[in-house]
Amino acid sequence: MKQNKPIAIGVLTREISRLLEEGIGYVQVIGEISNYKHHSSGHRYFSLKDDNAQISGVMWKTRALSFVPRDGMKVIAGGVITIYPPQGKYQLDCTFMQPMGLGDLYMAFEEMKQRLEKEGLFDPIHKKKLLAIPTRVGIITSATGAALQDMLSTMKRRNPMCEVCVRPTLVQGDGAIEDIVNAITMLDSENLDCIIVGRGGGSIEDLWAFNTESVARSIFMARTPVISAVGHETDFTIADFVADMRAATPTAAAELVTPITLQQLMDYVITLQNRLPELAFTAINEQRRTIEQLLLRSGFRRVNEQLKVMEQSLDSHEIRMSLAIKRSIAAMKMSIDSKGNHCKSLYPLSPLKKGFALLEKGTKTLTAEDELSIGEELTLIRQHTKHTILIQSQ
Amino acid sequence: MSKKKDISFETKIERLDIIVQTLDEGNVPLDTMLELYEEGMNLAQQCREYLEKAEQKIEIIEKKSN
Repeated sequence: MKQNKPIAIGVLTREISRLLEEGIGYVQVIGEISNYKHHSSGHRYFSLKDDNAQISGVMWKTRALSFVPRDGMKVIAGGVITIYPPQGKYQLDCTFMQPMGLGDLYMAFEEMKQRLEKEGLFDPIHKKKLLAIPTRVGIITSATGAALQDMLSTMKRRNPMCEVCVRPTLVQGDGAIEDIVNAITMLDSENLDCIIVGRGGGSIEDLWAFNTESVARSIFMARTPVISAVGHETDFTIADFVADMRAATPTAAAELVTPITLQQLMDYVITLQNRLPELAFTAINEQRRTIEQLLLRSGFRRVNEQLKVMEQSLDSHEIRMSLAIKRSIAAMKMSIDSKGNHCKSLYPLSPLKKGFALLEKGTKTLTAEDELSIGEELTLIRQHTKHTILIQSQ
Repeated sequence: MSKKKDISFETKIERLDIIVQTLDEGNVPLDTMLELYEEGMNLAQQCREYLEKAEQKIEIIEKKSN
């Protein structure tokens, strides 16, 4: 179709498509599957490659498959070459695919994997635990990939108090393996709580650095817990098996490393803080109750009763005492009275009341022994009167 | 390189947790209890302030040629 006028790209593409379909027709190839994606639409996309070349392949969901294709599998596939006009890309539209046994690359990979497994590198016994609240986390990934931004934004959202140390590395191509190994060794000496090693999804070739023995060994040797975050769900790498934890995506790794979010922490602290006064009050009330109960115990009650008994006995003693005192006072009074009467009875002038009289000679009161002679003048003392008398006879 | 604060946030949270548990279980002399209460309230305040001030720090570690 030689023409000098410009034609639409679509027209050209349709022409190429026709030429390819008619010129090649149905064809079968042998190659290794890589970058296999079973899209949610049900269609399968992949590459087929051998030592020298690579071709994109597609297998629509309407085509039956007797096995689950995996990256690295050697297969025989048949179909026609078609064009995908939006990308100007040709692809093998497969109607048929069968495994051919394991590809060489895959076999080597399997051999290494089994060797490392035997050596115990994948043993759960070596898996280190991650801190629930890390304060410093290292990230090893490409400085330019979306993976780094995904991880940083996820960590910032979940737990911004966690410091991040980024060690940019090559993640594919020449020098990537050495760079990753150096980065792991370097960050391991930084006293970090955890290291994330990863990259976004890619073909099995793109992820190959993470399938190498040296990267696997450096992850294994690290004293710091390592999370592998390579590619997407379907890609398992050796790094995933050796790492202390495996995340399906870099974002998932950032979530794993921050299992507790800042908000949860804050809520927890507030809960604890709120519980403190409540607990203190409870404890104080408990002590108070203990005291009250102690007071009710028989020991304390007995003391009280004892006091009452003592009080009562004191009272009775008091009563007895005062009675006794009263009695002795009365007795004393009586004895004083009788003595008074006795005294009264002994009063020398008392006989005068009965009519007796006293005799005095001068100032001397005469007793029965005093002798009297005639002519002597004496004083006669009666109760109320005094008289002078004269002795007339003997 | 890593400047460890005298007491890390995680240690503080753990301590606070232990204090609350201890108080929860009771069996503590009143004096001790009041001390724990005060310590706990202090820790909680420090933790909250720390969380409120939290912001992401990013450090880029340069490759060293070896």
